[in-house]
Amino acid sequence: MAVLDRTLEGVGGIFEDRPRPTPDLIVFVLMAALMALGSVMVYSSTFVRLEEETGDPTSAMRRQMIFAGVALVTYVATSMIDYRWYRRFPGLIYGVTMVALIGVLFAAPQKGATRWIPVGTFQFQPSEFAKVALIVALASLLTREASRRMSWKTLGTALLMAAAPSFLIFLQPDLGTMLVVGFITVGMLFVAGSSIRQVLVLGASGIAGAIAVFQLDILKSYQTARLAGFLDQTSDLQGVNWNLYQSQIAIGSGQLVGRGLLQGTQTRLSFIPSQTTDFIFTAVGEQFGFIGGSAVILAYAILIWRLLIVAAGAPNGFGSMISVGMAALLSFHVFVNIGMTVGLVPVTGLPLPFMSAGGSAMIAMAGGMGIVNSVWRSRSPVSDRPEARDL
Amino acid sequence: MSDRKRLDRREQATNSWRLGVLALLFTGALSILFFRLWFVQLAAGPEWLEEADQNIVSSQAIASPRGDIVDRNGIVLATSVPDLVIEIDRSLLPIEVEDDVLQRLAAILGLSPVEVREAVERTRSGEVATLTEFEIDADTAYLIMEQRATLPGVTVRALPVRGYTQGSLMGHVLGHMGLPSPGDLERLPTTDTITPIGKLGVEREYDEFLQGTPGKHVYRINPEGAILEEIGTVDPVPGATVRLTLDVEVQAEVERILVEAIDLSNALKETQDEIDPDRTPPPTERATAVVMEVNTGAILAMASYPTFEPQVFVGGIDVDSFEELSERQAFNNLAIQGVKPPASTFKVITYVTAVEENIFPEGVSTPEETIECSPQLAHRFEDDSQLLWRNWTYPESDGRQNLHDALRRSCNIYFWEVALSIWRAYARTDREGMVQEWARAVGVGRPTQVDLPFEHDGILGDRQLFEEWQERQPWRVRAEGWLGGDLMNLVVGQGPIVTTPLQMAVAYASILNGGTVYQPRVAEAIETADGERLRTLEPRVLRSVDISPQTVASLRTDLTSVVRSGTARRAFEDLGGLVELVGGKTGTAQSFTDQEGVFHDSTAWFVGVAPIDAPRWVVAVMVDEGGSGGAVAAPAARAIFQYLLGTEVTPLVAGEDTER
Repeated sequence: MAVLDRTLEGVGGIFEDRPRPTPDLIVFVLMAALMALGSVMVYSSTFVRLEEETGDPTSAMRRQMIFAGVALVTYVATSMIDYRWYRRFPGLIYGVTMVALIGVLFAAPQKGATRWIPVGTFQFQPSEFAKVALIVALASLLTREASRRMSWKTLGTALLMAAAPSFLIFLQPDLGTMLVVGFITVGMLFVAGSSIRQVLVLGASGIAGAIAVFQLDILKSYQTARLAGFLDQTSDLQGVNWNLYQSQIAIGSGQLVGRGLLQGTQTRLSFIPSQTTDFIFTAVGEQFGFIGGSAVILAYAILIWRLLIVAAGAPNGFGSMISVGMAALLSFHVFVNIGMTVGLVPVTGLPLPFMSAGGSAMIAMAGGMGIVNSVWRSRSPVSDRPEARDL
Repeated sequence: MSDRKRLDRREQATNSWRLGVLALLFTGALSILFFRLWFVQLAAGPEWLEEADQNIVSSQAIASPRGDIVDRNGIVLATSVPDLVIEIDRSLLPIEVEDDVLQRLAAILGLSPVEVREAVERTRSGEVATLTEFEIDADTAYLIMEQRATLPGVTVRALPVRGYTQGSLMGHVLGHMGLPSPGDLERLPTTDTITPIGKLGVEREYDEFLQGTPGKHVYRINPEGAILEEIGTVDPVPGATVRLTLDVEVQAEVERILVEAIDLSNALKETQDEIDPDRTPPPTERATAVVMEVNTGAILAMASYPTFEPQVFVGGIDVDSFEELSERQAFNNLAIQGVKPPASTFKVITYVTAVEENIFPEGVSTPEETIECSPQLAHRFEDDSQLLWRNWTYPESDGRQNLHDALRRSCNIYFWEVALSIWRAYARTDREGMVQEWARAVGVGRPTQVDLPFEHDGILGDRQLFEEWQERQPWRVRAEGWLGGDLMNLVVGQGPIVTTPLQMAVAYASILNGGTVYQPRVAEAIETADGERLRTLEPRVLRSVDISPQTVASLRTDLTSVVRSGTARRAFEDLGGLVELVGGKTGTAQSFTDQEGVFHDSTAWFVGVAPIDAPRWVVAVMVDEGGSGGAVAAPAARAIFQYLLGTEVTPLVAGEDTER
């Protein structure tokens, strides 16, 4: 590592030059474990179909493992980049993200949405990276002021910064991601010290926005149908609630210990549409039961807990805010994704972090986790070395 | 130390509680997930597992052969015959090959693809279409089965269909089959929409025994519904056999005699036309007769005309035929649904009331004392209303008569006087309804509880009923309510009383067997397809009525004199010496002109028993708007008694035109 450090030193001192505490191994192990489990789950829900169609039952899993590998490398890489480096050009990060989000609108639509930009044989999904980029940009903005209070100006700027990508994501359309962006922004503003009044204004405008969305008929018909289906989960089981119904059958039938790896009929026989992506948790629930499902939830709980620990112990506000943003991102994804598979929240297309099939979300989140790890590594290893907290 | 460092320190101080709030929020969210997972997997898990299992299996029903219906001697009346039909299960037929498959099937059948497509659309119910309309022979069936691989979802099966062996004989008792209506589906929760069920008669009443239990083929399927493998087969259990109390031979004879009685009635009407052209009665079209065992309630024959063939419903009846039969009221089983005033046949009940309650015309205190059976009776009630009643012999007097003579000669004057005595002594007391109480006790104006569906209750008027009507259906009764005149009408079986012939049969049987009211029934036993008896339907006593043996003996004697020398004398002449064995009563319900100006002729009744000293059979005959009971109904009853008593059945000749 030291060789690499020294080699890259000239590039602008982006790598730290002092000995640092070891990376947070717990985070790394849990992430890798979730990725491994995700790959196996992808296999379990695709091998029957792939064997039949192509004779190669492992292709989906192999692809997922490649993504996992890239994601882990990204994690290590961003871990090693000094996070303070990003603070030098938040505008650039934000700008590139916006360009990508605008660019995606010109790509060919798939499944009724334009979320992907083709890169070779892979599909690149800018909105996943936009979330992490926005976290970094917001963290930078929110810690720029020296005042104890957050000014209305900062608040307004932050909202504008969040609104622009939200609007672009909304055009794709991708309601789930838009909601994540909103949640991250509010979470970060709250921790960054917005006053109670500001929080109330945020809440009120959020409610007004939600009402406007319904009143103005902005939602697509499938989105309102999903919402109506969620409110009456016993209706239209063959139609709008098919996914939710089959998903609950899969998870419910797992009971305490599950039906065993590759033994779940719902998973094996592909009863659940989008099972490898948004509904990957159903494969865990069916095959490994309540024990497996709650273990996965526990893993995410530990990851989120680690992010909050970093946020609390970060050497500066910038690092702290990045950690807060990542914690908000991770917990929102986990809650909404698992929540929808068990009928707790309406169906929205949000991937389960590190597990759902697909590269963009996994790589972007692993990258974000790496940045937080960089924050972790830059904290003071011992209290008598205050200079370690200096930029 | 830079500004930035101070900034960091301060931020950490402010952020800590806010981070705590965030941590709480996240902990709460994940806890909710955890408990929801707990609920879905552990609390509701078993149910979801069941659904998961159902997801991957599909079953195809195998129809169970319906049980036979046999007569009391085991002669088969209704059975199940296998019929080859093509069945198309769309859940097993991928949509993209549907056209190809139907074309291939049409080629095999030698039909155009359009015909096949139309038949599929017409007969489909849910996912399954059963093409009953195409006649399939064994060769065609073999050809289809051979090409199974290229005809997914298409099968040939031997579908058991109903076959009736006796044409229209006993049609009303047997009933018919049909596809369940929405009401049936609600009534019978286990029924599906494509399996015919019993809709009428025994087919309906004993459906649960007759239908058996369908079997099924169970397949494992993929989410698209394609069959992966057959997991198992459950064989169908054939339905049970229902053995009736009816006797095919008695039934056939009774039905024949009934048609003869209708012919006789129409012949009489033609001669009548010449006499009284202004009151031309419409031709006689409907009649019914019941033969029941007096001491068991077992029905030997139950005929109702017009009738229908149950077979026409198999495979679906066309609309025109159905409407034609409906218009003729062919589905009405008049024995249990034809409600008519029982007329003078009801006098038997008034007779029993008079003797048992010791109430006679004014100035008379025993059944032996006589009064003048005058041509008419004028009576002024306490409210000053005056009524003038004419006996059927008007303008002649029928001489001095006691109770016995009055029954024999069907003298209305005597029974009206009995009603007036009751009215004078008991009006507006709880004893004023004594006649109705006796009537109700022996089964008049209430369901007989016969084991057939859609029995009518009839009406037996009294003060209470009139008050109910005044409240709910005021147009049915006059404002004054129940009056003495109503009671006078009722005691001779007119006015506020209508009954079914089966009710009258039950009433006569109950009185003449000494007071035991049996439930009339058409089924004797439930048996397996192999004839093993599963359940015997024993005679069931509904109630016992306290009638003194002297009353019963006296009534038996007087009913004998009705056929020997009374209103039915001429009708029963052909019975010769056997007339000693028979007793009964004629009845002729008044003719009337309805609100549309249509003239309705009298309804002819005869109810009687034999042998009179130890009654075995009760016979009730009713010819709807058929004329006089003595002239039309009594001869038909005579012929039935001839058959029951084992003597030669002689042709029907008109009896005495009495009681009108």
